[in-house]
Amino acid sequence: MKKRQISDESLNRIIKYLAIIILGFGIILLAIQFSDFWNWILRAIKSVIIPISLAYFSALIIFPLIKYLEKKGVGPRGFSLGLVFVLTVGLIFAAFYFLTPLIINEIKNFFTDDYPVIVDYINNDLRNEFLFGADLYDKIIAYVNETNLIADTVDSFVPKLITSLTNMLLPLLTAFALLPILLIFYLNDYEVIAERMRSIIPSKHEKNVAELSSRLNQTVGAYLRGQLILMVVLGSVATIAYKLIGLKYYFFFGFLVGVTNIIPYFGMLIAAIPPIVYTFIATSGPGPLLVLLVNVAMQFIEGNIFQPLIMSHQLSLHPIIIIISILFFGSLFGAIGVIFASPIAASIKVIYRFFTDLKKEKLKNSTTEATSS
Amino acid sequence: MIKINRPRIYSKYEINSIVFYGTMLLLMPIVLVFTYVFDAFTNNYDVRIYLLILVGITVLFTIIGTIFLLIKRDKLKRMVKATYVQEFYYLVIISIFGILGLVVLYKYLGGSPEYIASILVLSILLFAYVLLNLGRKYFNLNYGRKK
Repeated sequence: MKKRQISDESLNRIIKYLAIIILGFGIILLAIQFSDFWNWILRAIKSVIIPISLAYFSALIIFPLIKYLEKKGVGPRGFSLGLVFVLTVGLIFAAFYFLTPLIINEIKNFFTDDYPVIVDYINNDLRNEFLFGADLYDKIIAYVNETNLIADTVDSFVPKLITSLTNMLLPLLTAFALLPILLIFYLNDYEVIAERMRSIIPSKHEKNVAELSSRLNQTVGAYLRGQLILMVVLGSVATIAYKLIGLKYYFFFGFLVGVTNIIPYFGMLIAAIPPIVYTFIATSGPGPLLVLLVNVAMQFIEGNIFQPLIMSHQLSLHPIIIIISILFFGSLFGAIGVIFASPIAASIKVIYRFFTDLKKEKLKNSTTEATSS
Repeated sequence: MIKINRPRIYSKYEINSIVFYGTMLLLMPIVLVFTYVFDAFTNNYDVRIYLLILVGITVLFTIIGTIFLLIKRDKLKRMVKATYVQEFYYLVIISIFGILGLVVLYKYLGGSPEYIASILVLSILLFAYVLLNLGRKYFNLNYGRKK
């Protein structure tokens, strides 16, 4: 049988790729030798990237409103920007002013009314109602007491939690403190900044980059705006529904639904756990099945009505992609990474689509040229 | 004559009319639902008087809105979009609050709590049916179609 020979062109390509891979490994090996230096550089980049990305994402939400006002004749830019800014700050302040006392009150009530009951239940009644029998319950309690499991876990967990919270909180606070200033300058010179960025790009690629950035702004902006509306709507719907079924801490649980909904698909599941656990323990109010039913209904509405409406067909992401992106960006950037995992994944999808479209267009052009010649 | 199976695209006038009258129809339940959550008036006002005031405000808004729509009619009739996703999205949101508001209204009018679940399910089904048909016919959004 005749052996298939590799053409010179293929061989050249293979050698080229191999050389690139070996060189890449060499560079990585060299970089590892100076890990402290790279960590220092990466930390600096991270501290810049987080506030800049926050400002960029916020601008994507706010800028269409400024554009709309300008279209309606509300100008110049400084005036429309000021108007939108005052409105946004006012809305955030009003939400905090009215909702925070209600939520804090509910948390206080929980610790004064329900917490002692829950502790009492765990100490006394849980033994009799334990699913696997009182004997097994006694053995578990004896093991826990013997090994000092809870105290040890708390001792090791709390300092770690405090350290990670401090590490997370400081960049977050810095980012949020810088956000209004960055946002004002960015929104005021939105077009100028875009033009400057474009001028850096070689003229050969200018058209493609402009098209890509416009697609990114449109799709990711629509996604963010939709997600924000969804958070408010689902949080409100959950609060109302919880009150209608007679759940006690409806403001807190509803707020939880709204906040966790920032993580698509999984936020609702996470938010459903505390009220269901609470109804299992609580002596009055609705049963866990009813709370579960409300959450399932909301999940259904979110997944089948709102998500397809918010995300256009080209932006819809598979749940597996969302899990992977949450894990990956969460480990890279912490809490902010988890929050922005979906828009980043959506941006990557838009970039990928753009390049496949470009490739198709090039192929189409070359075939047309070949047929015409 | 060959019949082209292409959906009719409605102008902004028709769409705005649907959205506006839908909002007016659901205004009372929506206001009720928020007053219910914040316990705004349960102790201070008579519920029926409050409902009457709300009906009055709704009628007033409807008259003003209708006049406004009629004034802008020609301009709006010339404006056309391929699909009206955002308008439909708004309609879905107010319908969800409206459904919950209907339950609150039923509760305020002294209805028995044991029928709340049945009323909720029935109103959800009714609204879903109406919204699906409106979406398909006027907003050019077909939910039933496979991608």
